[in-house]
Amino acid sequence: MLEFDGLHKSYGDNRVLEGVGFTVAPGSMFGFCGSNGAGKTTTMRIAMGLARADAGEVRWRGRPLDEEARRRIGYMPEERGLYPKMRVGEQLTYFARLHGMDAAAAARAAEEWSGRLGLAERRGDPVEKLSLGNQQRVQLAAALVSRPEVLILDEPFSGLDPVGVDALAEALLEQCRAGVPVVFSSHQLDLVERLCDSVGILARGRMVATGTVEELRRRESGRVLRVVVPDAAPGWAAAVPGVRVVSERAGDTLLELAGGTDDQQVLAAALRTGRVTHFAWREATLVELFREVVADPVQQAAVREEVAA
Amino acid sequence: MSAPSSTSPLSSGQLVRLVAGREISSRIRDKTFIASSVLMIVLILGVLVFQVVVNSGEDTSRIGVVGDPGQVGTALEAQGEALDVDVEVVRFDTEDAARTAVEDEEVDGALVGSSGDPELVVADPDTTLEAVVSGAVGSVALGDALAQAGVDPSDLPQLTVTALDGDSAADTQRTVVAVVGVVVLYSLLILFAQFVAQGVVEEKSSRVVELLLATMKPWQLLAGKILGLGVLGLGQIAVIAAIGIGGALAFDVVDLPGELIGTVLWLLFWFVLGYALFASLFAVAASLVSRQEDLGSVLTPASLVLVAGFIVAVQAASDPDGTLAIVTSYVPGLSPMVMPVRQAAGDVALWEVGVAVALMLVAIALVVRLGGRVYSGALLRTGGKTKLREALKAGEA
Repeated sequence: MLEFDGLHKSYGDNRVLEGVGFTVAPGSMFGFCGSNGAGKTTTMRIAMGLARADAGEVRWRGRPLDEEARRRIGYMPEERGLYPKMRVGEQLTYFARLHGMDAAAAARAAEEWSGRLGLAERRGDPVEKLSLGNQQRVQLAAALVSRPEVLILDEPFSGLDPVGVDALAEALLEQCRAGVPVVFSSHQLDLVERLCDSVGILARGRMVATGTVEELRRRESGRVLRVVVPDAAPGWAAAVPGVRVVSERAGDTLLELAGGTDDQQVLAAALRTGRVTHFAWREATLVELFREVVADPVQQAAVREEVAA
Repeated sequence: MSAPSSTSPLSSGQLVRLVAGREISSRIRDKTFIASSVLMIVLILGVLVFQVVVNSGEDTSRIGVVGDPGQVGTALEAQGEALDVDVEVVRFDTEDAARTAVEDEEVDGALVGSSGDPELVVADPDTTLEAVVSGAVGSVALGDALAQAGVDPSDLPQLTVTALDGDSAADTQRTVVAVVGVVVLYSLLILFAQFVAQGVVEEKSSRVVELLLATMKPWQLLAGKILGLGVLGLGQIAVIAAIGIGGALAFDVVDLPGELIGTVLWLLFWFVLGYALFASLFAVAASLVSRQEDLGSVLTPASLVLVAGFIVAVQAASDPDGTLAIVTSYVPGLSPMVMPVRQAAGDVALWEVGVAVALMLVAIALVVRLGGRVYSGALLRTGGKTKLREALKAGEA
């Protein structure tokens, strides 16, 4: 298990993390979401020893991460970084060696990974001569080349074209299947939804939601009932107890049900207005979940009042 | 359960060696480095060739003698030595042959006539040649006269020479070597300290430092960088020294190879100390900025110390016992350039060198300790210039 436990971090008066915690099981992929400045990068940098937590710790296999354990983590920083004038092959070999591989194994691994990520022909070129997309591949190869036990990747998909995204996703899934826990942050929620076994959403330094994508979807707050009743008078649903109208336009109604409210009662009320052409629970997308949980509480309350008014 | 791990734990020493190895292998292919190496070697060869040309300017005087040179030949050579002229005695069978040789400029002059009535035939009047020949003829005549009178020349009073100012010719030579050496030392100090600074900023500006620090501590990165480039710098100065010494011996430019080698070894020693101090200073200063463009401003203070040391050292060559030279030869940062000049030019007691070395070591220790903290604190702060105090504070944490 890779465990992030109760991380706190302040820069001066600015409290960046206020008790961030989540766990990632070996062989699973964890999508780390949150708006800009929520603290994702700080959390990952604490794991890599690049920032120090005021409180809390990150553990791998039950032991707090130390320098030796970090050597077995593949890391991709948010700000990409490679030696611009160093050749691709030599650079990968160097990083493999820094992670503790001997010279021969490092050279082999560098060759293998540059080949697998489609960089075979660029091995002898300095990194600065490569396109941005290819530099990104080298960056990923640098994270994977030492056969890490854990992968921590900060925004690995940003700046990639769709083909690059697929190649990276495939590489990550492969690592996962080999039993490596993978944590990555991303703003591309569709991607997170597609790839991740579990998701954590960070807002204002706190984890506001964690769980599998399924679990998050089942959360009441994220679920809406869509009922289409063409002949109904406006405000037909407001009278049903436990129902809050999210939106209503020409009979196309989105409803949110309070806990314990029976959806069949809503159906009965709908039928009383006439024809019902559509009645279904709509699964919230991760984007909607994200908006829901990340929104500022004050703003959110204002929105609710507006809708109710 | 997890991917097979083919990695093994690394010691600090291994990490430092890895970093140093990368520095050497990437710098040795760097165009600036290659160009500077070639330039230095050309410079040293140039100095050597210059010395050889200057020395060969005082060419040998060839003096023709008719018949067996005998006593006159010996006297001519002895006289030449006294007047600092190389004399080669050429034998001719007849007076006519000697005269023809002078006309053909095969010899500079010819001594003809009898010993009672000697005549010097020259193509152009040459006072040095006249002095040599008349001195030689005179001393032969004097020897003959004394022998006839029954006086043994060795009974005559001999002049004993006592030099109060030591061996001044050798001193000058050592000072020249020291000044040339200090020029090389200063250039290499500036060059390699700059390399260290550029390397630090390159890692910061390319953000690769974040990946590096995920696998090692800041001091390991700094130590590897300074050691790697230091080995390269020491190698370069050693090659230059070897070429200089080898060339000087081969072309017979110096009289006292032992003194020359001593001076060069001291220069190498002071290079190591100077490099340790300035490389650390430059690295720490460089860690405060994130762009190569900002490097100049933060490096200025340390560079000024280097330039000052160089100027004082050159001045010290002409006045090695002056107060300025003596005082500055103890000041850390200036001592690596001033002390070797003083050591070469004058008598410096071993304890004086010891004090200068000790002060230098204290300064290096301080820079490494405080600077290491600044470096760790500033390394991960990108964007703009980090203030020294902020970096110190961050480094403490």
